[in-house]
Amino acid sequence: MPAPSDHSPVGAPMPRLDAWGKVTGATRFLPDDPRPDAWLGAAVRSPLPHARLVSVAKTASFPAEAVLLTAPDLPCANLVAMVREDLPLLAADEVRFATQPVALVAAPDRATLKAALAAVAVELEELPAVLDLDAALRGEGPVWGADNVVAEYRIDRGDPDAAFASAATVVEGTYFTGYQEHMYIEPQGIVATPRPDGGVEILGSLQCPYYVHNAMKRALGLDDDRVVVRQSPTGGAFGGKEDYPSILALQAAVLALRCGQPVAMIYERREDVACTTKRHPSRTRYRSAFDRDGELLAIDVDLVLDAGAYTTLSPVVLSRGVLHVAGPYRVPHARIRGRTVATHTPPNGAFRGFGVPQAAFACERQMDRAARRLGLDPAELRRRNLVRDGDTFVFGQTLRPGMAAADLVLERVLERSGYELRRREARAFNAGGGPLRRGVGVTLTMHGGGFTGDGEDRIKGKVAVRLDPDGVVTLLVSSVEMGQGAATVLPQIAAEALGVPVGRIRYHQPDTSAVPDSGPTVASRTTMVVGRILVAACRQLADKARAFAGDKAADPLLAAGRAGLTATAVYEPDPDINWDQSTMHGDAYQGWSWAAAVAEVEVDVDTMEVRPVRLTHVVEIGRAVNPVLCVGQVEGGALQGLAWGHLEEMKLRDGRYWNDRMSTYIIPTSLDAPDFDVELAELPSPRGPFGAKGLGELPLNAGAPALAAAVEDALDIEVFEAPVTPEILLARRREVRR
Amino acid sequence: MKISLWVNGVRRDLEVPPLKRLLDVLREDLGLVGAKEGCGEGECGACAVILDGRLVNSCLLPAYRAHGRVVRTIEGLGTPESPDPVQSAFVVEGAVQCGYCIPGLVMASRALLDEEASPTRPRIREALAGNLCRCTGYERIIRAVERAGQTPARVCGTEPSPDPASEPEASPGDEVVVHVPGSLREACEMLGRGGVTVIGGATDLGVLLHEEIVAPRAVLDLSRVAELHGVRREEGALVIGAATTYADLLRDPDVARDLPCLHAAVRTVGAPAIQSLGTLGGNLVNGSPGADAVPPLLALGARIRLMSGAGGREVAADAFFTGYRATVRRPDELVAAIIVPLPAAGTRQSFRKAGTRRAQAIAKVNLAACARVQDGALRDVRLAAGSVGPTVLLLRRAMAALEGGRVADLERLAGAVAAAARDEVVPIDDVRSTADYRRAVTGNLVARFVLSLGEAPFL
Repeated sequence: MPAPSDHSPVGAPMPRLDAWGKVTGATRFLPDDPRPDAWLGAAVRSPLPHARLVSVAKTASFPAEAVLLTAPDLPCANLVAMVREDLPLLAADEVRFATQPVALVAAPDRATLKAALAAVAVELEELPAVLDLDAALRGEGPVWGADNVVAEYRIDRGDPDAAFASAATVVEGTYFTGYQEHMYIEPQGIVATPRPDGGVEILGSLQCPYYVHNAMKRALGLDDDRVVVRQSPTGGAFGGKEDYPSILALQAAVLALRCGQPVAMIYERREDVACTTKRHPSRTRYRSAFDRDGELLAIDVDLVLDAGAYTTLSPVVLSRGVLHVAGPYRVPHARIRGRTVATHTPPNGAFRGFGVPQAAFACERQMDRAARRLGLDPAELRRRNLVRDGDTFVFGQTLRPGMAAADLVLERVLERSGYELRRREARAFNAGGGPLRRGVGVTLTMHGGGFTGDGEDRIKGKVAVRLDPDGVVTLLVSSVEMGQGAATVLPQIAAEALGVPVGRIRYHQPDTSAVPDSGPTVASRTTMVVGRILVAACRQLADKARAFAGDKAADPLLAAGRAGLTATAVYEPDPDINWDQSTMHGDAYQGWSWAAAVAEVEVDVDTMEVRPVRLTHVVEIGRAVNPVLCVGQVEGGALQGLAWGHLEEMKLRDGRYWNDRMSTYIIPTSLDAPDFDVELAELPSPRGPFGAKGLGELPLNAGAPALAAAVEDALDIEVFEAPVTPEILLARRREVRR
Repeated sequence: MKISLWVNGVRRDLEVPPLKRLLDVLREDLGLVGAKEGCGEGECGACAVILDGRLVNSCLLPAYRAHGRVVRTIEGLGTPESPDPVQSAFVVEGAVQCGYCIPGLVMASRALLDEEASPTRPRIREALAGNLCRCTGYERIIRAVERAGQTPARVCGTEPSPDPASEPEASPGDEVVVHVPGSLREACEMLGRGGVTVIGGATDLGVLLHEEIVAPRAVLDLSRVAELHGVRREEGALVIGAATTYADLLRDPDVARDLPCLHAAVRTVGAPAIQSLGTLGGNLVNGSPGADAVPPLLALGARIRLMSGAGGREVAADAFFTGYRATVRRPDELVAAIIVPLPAAGTRQSFRKAGTRRAQAIAKVNLAACARVQDGALRDVRLAAGSVGPTVLLLRRAMAALEGGRVADLERLAGAVAAAARDEVVPIDDVRSTADYRRAVTGNLVARFVLSLGEAPFL
């Protein structure tokens, strides 16, 4: 691999370009700019999870200058367009989840807004609510459609029944995962400003400018140019600002259009936690058949996700979960059924990993359970079954040469962590008695980068580059910087493609009036997919510059700076990708990234508190465009996974999130985080720019199963759930002892 | 209210509502928007600034408290051209992702390094535990602090000194009257007139004020009452002023040496930015059954000194609480001091907390325990547990079961004492844990303490 230098920006561990603004406090986030002319908006919400909406009305004390909007008053279609168009902006007749908006209020200042909110009378007639997965699966309600099934996918391969009948060992388990709250440190926020032409401009903390753009166009019936969406510097998102900003932007927009003033809706923490989307809770029943040598013969899996009350992104989350639930293993025969069902709870949405953490948790727990039953070390069972080049996944994708790295990451992590020695040391330590137990667990996961199947071809991401008079190239992409590093990595890729230093590249803050739709900033697609389109655009621009400046120009970009050159490129699918969406069969993902992790934990048996001590994480991500940023992604994602595995528990009470504060929804502090040891393994992929693949979501998949495995190893009891809380561990240990 | 404070070396004279949060004063009145609001309840530390050399959460602090004091914010730390070593290290180590928590984390790192030039990794983790970052996993941040510790901070002229004597000046438009007495006598007089809400560290009250759960017309702030601060040695006891902050307690060598269970408990309260503000007296008066500093006071047999215009009285710490968030304190009384008798030589002390996480956590269960061994038997056994009843509880039956027990018989005693403790606690299910867990863990922690009495001295 070439050594990084000024002229090979890809691979350089350079500091992020936005770092100085952030460490000096100069970066202005949405709440940081005063907007004296802006009104403040808020939603009036249902306290009940299911009710008939009888009336919403102003009472006598409603301030004259304030504005109230109910469903019949909306100046637009009552919908927020996402995968389907079933989510209303405001409940009209029926409330289907607690916190669902029934009206919107705007006022010129905080005191008036508060008075107005207190002066809205909402009459509801309570109806029975379907709050748990089993009731939803029985079709109670129904909450949604005829039977609550928002989406269902199946994968069938071979003859699983015959394989189970011939198996030496059959292992069964049921695994549960809970909600997860994103808890980005900057809460959601949107400012909507009416335009003189009847349109509206949106400025907000968001991931997907064109998702918001589309939702606005659909609901408000506006053409492309009269809706402008701009992204403000975004203080974390993790998927939480993928879907929800469309809702918040529409609320702010209808208020702004109604009062003819800019309207700001910037959440305080409690409203953010109480009302925004969460990771889908899951339940997975998993059966596996093994032969005498511990080789997998077949699996039979039933994966269920709780969608909440409306479709939002649930079908897409489910399809990704279904495609990952067999894990990085060779499975000759399979029956996989995935369903996402509706309940009278707030809609769940995108969260880093997008269905894979749930699937990986079930798959990896099942492998550990099988290892125990088979009397094999968990690492050895994985070694015997992992996919290699030439193997075919259950959905029909064959791994071409150079695509599989499961064995690489597994062997590297075992060696790097000293897995076997650590396991032995933990056993010896535990034999000594005392209140502490140590455990070591290993996990192996994978993540498909970019949209599923032909998704990228359907979305046809577009990228533009512009050569400015100073010879600097401006990148025009809708991929946002939200902490993950796009505003550094994309310039590195462009610089590499153009053969100039990174200082000659400028990243343009996403703005739909200035940048084309490169697709949303999701699905670990920015580096791999948008980066690749960017390379094509840059090469065109370089050609144009050379054509303008002549072959002899030492610096054609500088020489052509005044020519007003631009170049645009659109996603081009590789011709050898085959995918059938109707049968979920074929090349599901173009670039698979691989991760193996070894977690070491210490458990206090008096309190059952689990302390992750060390996490060794080896990831194979193709070419690492910026190794420092890559390592940061791995560590941050891994901690989110670990914490989801034992600390982060979102509780529902009467259909509402009970622990809706930072002091009650527990995310890890610096004392709760382990020491991290990360290794980047690089097998350059032909699908991404300069060999890069997707990374953002991958590290979240390993945390929870690795932690569960380590806890199991420490305590010699089985773990079926994430989070596995001290309360659960205490009760389980007591059961085992009886 | 007219307040004057030093912000990043510049004197600022401001007219502000007295209870406006320092965070809002910085952001709205001074345009210093580097400090962010992430939670509004002192949990995330995005608003952290350095006040008179200590890290505080500016979202909890009423503006009048900044009067006469010296505030440092991220804007005063450095620029890209002339950065603080912490800022350079954060950039180089890749400690920054989304950046929203970063101003607070940089300030927390600076506050640590100002006090301790080369902290260990565990010290760094502890010092940053009140600053939540959701992006990085903390590893790069910890490495950045290690790196920054190798470079001395720039000295930028003379730092102004705080002016502890001056008082903020009321304005005609003030909706709240603020009393900031300088003496205990004055404080008692003002309290005696009634109608005031007492403010100690504002770590709880700051949240209630912001959420408009309380809306006092007048407040009585104890932070400048000299007699209420500090730890004194007095006739076989340590006398702790009620307005002594956790941060001061942690740095007190007598407390560390003689009252290790109190020291250990105080260390688990919130995180540094909370410890800089919160006071021991506030922890008592607030009356929370989960208060971490209170079980040690019960276990150590502390007495609470109450003062009013009419005089003073002392109450045993275990008689101070009468019910959930209820105490014997009359409305005209202040908690003035906590008198902790010095434990007899050889007394074992222990504090354990099972919280929702390892810092910035409310206890699910906490236990303070004291006992000593004399002639092979256990004497002066005191066990106190929090979050397992409406008040912090002295575990009298468990104490009785252990008192006089033989060291040779600890295994059997541990079981019996734990069973007694489980029987006498009255925990509930709530948002943080279950009654079942709390009951079981109380027993386990008691048993662990009993077993430890047979081991070499600890804690």
